Amino acid sequence: MSEQEIREGMLLAVWDEPPLDFDPDTLIRRVEQKKSRRRALVAVGVATAMIAVVSLSLPGLLPREDNAQLATESPSSASAAPTESPERRAQRLGDGLVAGLRARMPSTKDSYASFGPGRSGMSLPYETKPPRWKEGDTEFSGFVYFSDEIGPTALRVSVRKESFSSELFCSGADTCQQLWKNNGSFVYGAEFRYNDPQVQQVGVLRSFDSGLVVEITAYAHNPSNGNGQRQTVPVGVAVLTQLVTDPGVVWETG
Amino acid sequence: MRKADEQGFREFAAANAASLRRTAYLFCGDWHTAEDLMQSSLMKMYLAWKRIKDLDNLIAYARKVLLRTWLDEKRRPWRRAEQRDGELPDAADATVDPDTTSAKLWARELVHTALLQVPPRQRAVLVLRYFEDLSVAEVAVAMGCTEGTVKSQTARGLATLRTIVEKLDSSSGRVAS
Repeated sequence: MSEQEIREGMLLAVWDEPPLDFDPDTLIRRVEQKKSRRRALVAVGVATAMIAVVSLSLPGLLPREDNAQLATESPSSASAAPTESPERRAQRLGDGLVAGLRARMPSTKDSYASFGPGRSGMSLPYETKPPRWKEGDTEFSGFVYFSDEIGPTALRVSVRKESFSSELFCSGADTCQQLWKNNGSFVYGAEFRYNDPQVQQVGVLRSFDSGLVVEITAYAHNPSNGNGQRQTVPVGVAVLTQLVTDPGVVWETG
Repeated sequence: MRKADEQGFREFAAANAASLRRTAYLFCGDWHTAEDLMQSSLMKMYLAWKRIKDLDNLIAYARKVLLRTWLDEKRRPWRRAEQRDGELPDAADATVDPDTTSAKLWARELVHTALLQVPPRQRAVLVLRYFEDLSVAEVAVAMGCTEGTVKSQTARGLATLRTIVEKLDSSSGRVAS
């Protein structure tokens, strides 16, 4: 077979080519769409990376409220000081809870407490500054943040003055009973399944003679942000009872 | 991209799409894949148009892109195996001479079937040399190799092609001229 025959054979090979339906505008549109998709993907990737970096560094970077004020205080001290501001009291109790949680669940890490004045303890969405403590604040609430084998989550803590009603506390619970009693103070514990095979919420409430009520609640999700859904609660009613009755955490002073 | 540049690309693409598809067909042996290869190459050229629009020989650059695109495609595992369910029979055309048509079909099948059995780089050299009528130097530029390599690949490709054609001829009972 000569080179000329090869040449002719190749020309014949494309002799019956199908009609070409090619539109440069369609091709340009496809390229532009591809470019914008790629730009969007890069933007999503960068945003995801930034969120990941921020979420990883946030627990270490988050300062305790008013560090300067608390600097002189021993971090492990959970006993009451004679002239204690409401903010310092909340921080002391938070530190006590964190220490108690670490002692009972050594696998937890990145644990810290953050409380604010009032029953919500959180800033409202339109507020740009954290809630301000006032002299005489007796109620506070917030979260004890920690991470376990599953991931980051939190316990909700509420300290307030009210008359205890077991009907109200036990309403909707699958099990609810008094678990502890001492010198006029008692603890109720409740488990909620909400038609799920596993416990979705547990709460303990300690009531004092003075009308002070301390409530700690664990959920099958992270109550601080509504995320982190898991099969069941990270902490059981037994540990919550130990935390709320821990003698190292002095809830009432004076 | 500026309107003028875009118009330049549009004109280039419209003028060379058919020729690029033919070359791609001889590379890969399938019109659908050939169309994909042609479009992918033009897309790559559109993205680089700002940089390449002033090149002296744009069609040579386009052939180079086409060749690279095809070789890249061949390296992808999921494209290595050709999957065909069968070929549609050729439809009879009453307006042409049956003898001429038969000879054309035979030559086409012979060269095409044989060409597809030649190793890819040797096939590329043969297509660029004998279908595109490029010089050794131009093929070397398109292939990104030396002229010596082009010559040796051409010689090897021709030898391989002739061996395959002889085999096909003898198996079908026809004598190669």
